Amino acid sequence: MADILDILDIEQPGTAEITRDSILHGDKMKKKYVTAKAARRPEGMHREVFALLYNDNKDLPPLLPTDTGKAYKQTKAKLGMRKVRKWVWAPFTNPARKDNAVFYHWKRKTDESKEYPFAQFNKQVSIPSYSESEYNQYLKSEDWSQAETDHLMDLCQRFDLRFIVIHDRWDRAAFRDRSVEDLKERYYNICGILSKVKTNPWSNTVTMVNGEKRVYHYDAEHERKRKEQLRRLFDRTKEQIEEEQTLLAELKKIEARKRERERKTQDLQKLISRADGNSAAANQTAIANDGMNTPSTVSSSIARRHDRKLHKKKLASQQRPMRAIETVTVEWSGIKFPEARGTGVWLRSQRMKLPPGVGQRKTKAIEQELRLMNIDVAPTPTESICKHFNELRSDLALALDLKNALTSYEFELQALRHQYEALNPGKTLTIPPSICNTSAEADTKPLGEIIDVVGSPGSHNNTI
Amino acid sequence: MSGPNGMLYGGDEIGALVFDPGHHSLRVGYAQEDTPKADIPAVIGVGPATHIPDAEEKVPDGNITQSAAKTGNELRHYIDVTEIHVPRPGMEIQTYMKDGQVDNWDLFEKMLDYCYSKVIRSPSEHHPALFTEAVWTTRPAREKLAELLFEKYQAPAFFLVKNAVLAAFANGKSTALVLDAGASQTSAVPVIDGYAIVSAAVRSPLGGDHLAAQAKIMLNNMHIQMLPIYSIQSKEVIRERERAKYTLKNLPAGLTQSWQQYMLKRQYEDFCHCVAQVSENPYEERVAAAVPGVHHEFPGGYHQDFGPERFKLTECLFEQTMGAAQLVCSAAGACDADARPALWGGVVACGGLSALAGWPDRVARELAARAPSSHRLKTHAAPSPQERRFAAWLGGSILASIGSFQQMWISSQEYDEGGKGQLERKCP
Ligand SMILES: Nc1ncnc2c1ncn2[C@@H]1O[C@H](COP(=O)(O)OP(=O)(O)O)[C@@H](O)[C@H]1O
Repeated sequence: MADILDILDIEQPGTAEITRDSILHGDKMKKKYVTAKAARRPEGMHREVFALLYNDNKDLPPLLPTDTGKAYKQTKAKLGMRKVRKWVWAPFTNPARKDNAVFYHWKRKTDESKEYPFAQFNKQVSIPSYSESEYNQYLKSEDWSQAETDHLMDLCQRFDLRFIVIHDRWDRAAFRDRSVEDLKERYYNICGILSKVKTNPWSNTVTMVNGEKRVYHYDAEHERKRKEQLRRLFDRTKEQIEEEQTLLAELKKIEARKRERERKTQDLQKLISRADGNSAAANQTAIANDGMNTPSTVSSSIARRHDRKLHKKKLASQQRPMRAIETVTVEWSGIKFPEARGTGVWLRSQRMKLPPGVGQRKTKAIEQELRLMNIDVAPTPTESICKHFNELRSDLALALDLKNALTSYEFELQALRHQYEALNPGKTLTIPPSICNTSAEADTKPLGEIIDVVGSPGSHNNTI
Repeated sequence: MSGPNGMLYGGDEIGALVFDPGHHSLRVGYAQEDTPKADIPAVIGVGPATHIPDAEEKVPDGNITQSAAKTGNELRHYIDVTEIHVPRPGMEIQTYMKDGQVDNWDLFEKMLDYCYSKVIRSPSEHHPALFTEAVWTTRPAREKLAELLFEKYQAPAFFLVKNAVLAAFANGKSTALVLDAGASQTSAVPVIDGYAIVSAAVRSPLGGDHLAAQAKIMLNNMHIQMLPIYSIQSKEVIRERERAKYTLKNLPAGLTQSWQQYMLKRQYEDFCHCVAQVSENPYEERVAAAVPGVHHEFPGGYHQDFGPERFKLTECLFEQTMGAAQLVCSAAGACDADARPALWGGVVACGGLSALAGWPDRVARELAARAPSSHRLKTHAAPSPQERRFAAWLGGSILASIGSFQQMWISSQEYDEGGKGQLERKCP
């Protein structure tokens, strides 16, 4: 603001503006513009040029840089309004001390001498005390002499119940060595007994709950066991730790393999049950008679739900456990063809279109099969042809799945056999012919047997 | 101390002094300061008070404490580097320390005299004195110290704290496993809630002195002569690994063996400080050779690069059975199982030897390899070597200037009433 006024040559009322300078130089505020009015700026002269010629006190500007000498003896900055308060090296006593020793410290001269502020931190744990007679009456113990008990209580007081430290400072010359738990047990016992027989409870071991005394009970046996376990855990050698680690890793592997096997079993069971279900649909009466005996039929209805997943075996996760389901009504398998959709007119051949869920590969494979059987891939869609054609293709899809499953198990069986022979050189694993399917026989085998083989742990466990 | 808003700050300084007597040096200074006022070698030159026309002698010399009048064959005691390092006939070097505690009390008194008159420059009766001590300091030694302070020096108050506890405090911990690598020994002491666990403390003699001795052997094997620096008048600039060219000084006759050895030991220590380095992993010629060498010039003028040797030298500190990591393991193992996790979580490295380049890293590594996997290991070392060297003193400086500590001192009144027997109770 002042600058603008300067430029416009407007005289300022003598305001006492607060600047750093005015604080620093205090009362010696410069009186500006006292003589400034003498020379007026000639018309057309630049302000800067004029300022060079005529400054406030009309001196000529110096030709050489000069020192006014004032800069070096500037007066001290006065920052506060009040005077500095004095500090004195004064004596004090500390009420936390019992001996009234006098020490010295710095304090403000004006501060009234109040109690030493740090005395409030003087906190002590309250430890129960007992008289000689009380000891004899209540606290006698076969294991502990009174001298030893006294020593314990003394240490508890000195080290504020830090039992590890107490244990470290235990007078081993006079008393026998005791464990931390022994010391704690004795101490808490004494607290318990004394708080029952005496009136003043010790704050740290007794709590009042609803007016009823609760004494802290120290379970020494449990603590000892815990400590022992902890010690063992910490004292394991490197080898032990490594062994444990490898064992854990092995366990994980075993479990993963087990899960994998279960999953496969279930997958297979589903396939089988579906095949079974198909035949069941064909001859319901036969199932009513003997179908229930085979485990495959039981789970057939569960299988229906999951058949989609069969295409991608890996995707299948843990399946729900098998449940016995009485009603075996399978009206559908392999491929589910959509029912008539929407309204209006549609071509019947639409019904023969494979649903989008069936993958490319499968579609190709089915067509291949059809060609082998000399059946047109796109027959004339009469009502009955439509129905039969769809059923045929559905069965074909199922058959393909079963075939795939069979070959993969076959492969696994061979792999296991090789593994077995590699592990036990010289021996050969003769696989009973009942398991040893060739793909041609597979269809004729009783289904139950296949499941048994895969599910039984026998040969698999050798490899683990 | 207390702020305007009624807040209470932790500090209250009462002009206390902190003394940290070690094997290598004695650290002394005012509490609440961040470095000791003086770090005085823990040796005293004792020699006849005969006058030799020596430049330093002519000036009235403050550093010499006189045991009695200047007459006859009185002994004089020479303290601090400026005095000790002057070649004087008949001056023997003696130390008052033995096995981590003060042993020669007459000499130690001379040292304390010197501290009060030349370092503190203030009467001893004005300053409470806090002393550090090693964990295994015996009871007679502790009581003797209290007696000395109260009776001879009229200290208004006195306190003794274990140096491991103070080192833990200096690192901001009350529970820690303190690994102190000093001159004469390396020790590992568990500290729980500010109390040192004495029964679990372990130590080994592998310290700075051992390293200096190894340096001597190494240089001997390399046929490098360590000439005493005080014997060299002048030397010529020569090329690397050339024979040194120097002229010897005229030394006064009758320099003692102990003094010469002490001076040489200082030079070997100096060599270690400059050249020796600890490799991160156990020494391997190939790895060590890849690190650029360090150039060192010996007092005689001979100079050369030191390559893998400087790593090989320090391997003596990491012996399997007595190395620092092993000490920590056994100290932690000797503690109650409940305390171990906290101890492993706060391993504090301090002491002069931990200033050796690479030492903290190597120790941290070895510990990581040895620590039980069930514990979380954390190794602390103050960032600056000075802080590590003076850890115990710093802890003392902090402790003695805390307001709530002021009730702990044994005052002279208490001492007059209870005698020195209460020391065990008051200074656990
Ligand atoms: N910068 C450094 N590098 C290597 N070693 C050092 C360094 N500073 C000191 N030392 C060594 O540390 C030792 C002194 O350690 P210190 O803790 O002061 O011992 P003490 O407590 O017994 O007096 C000496 O042996 C000295 O050589």
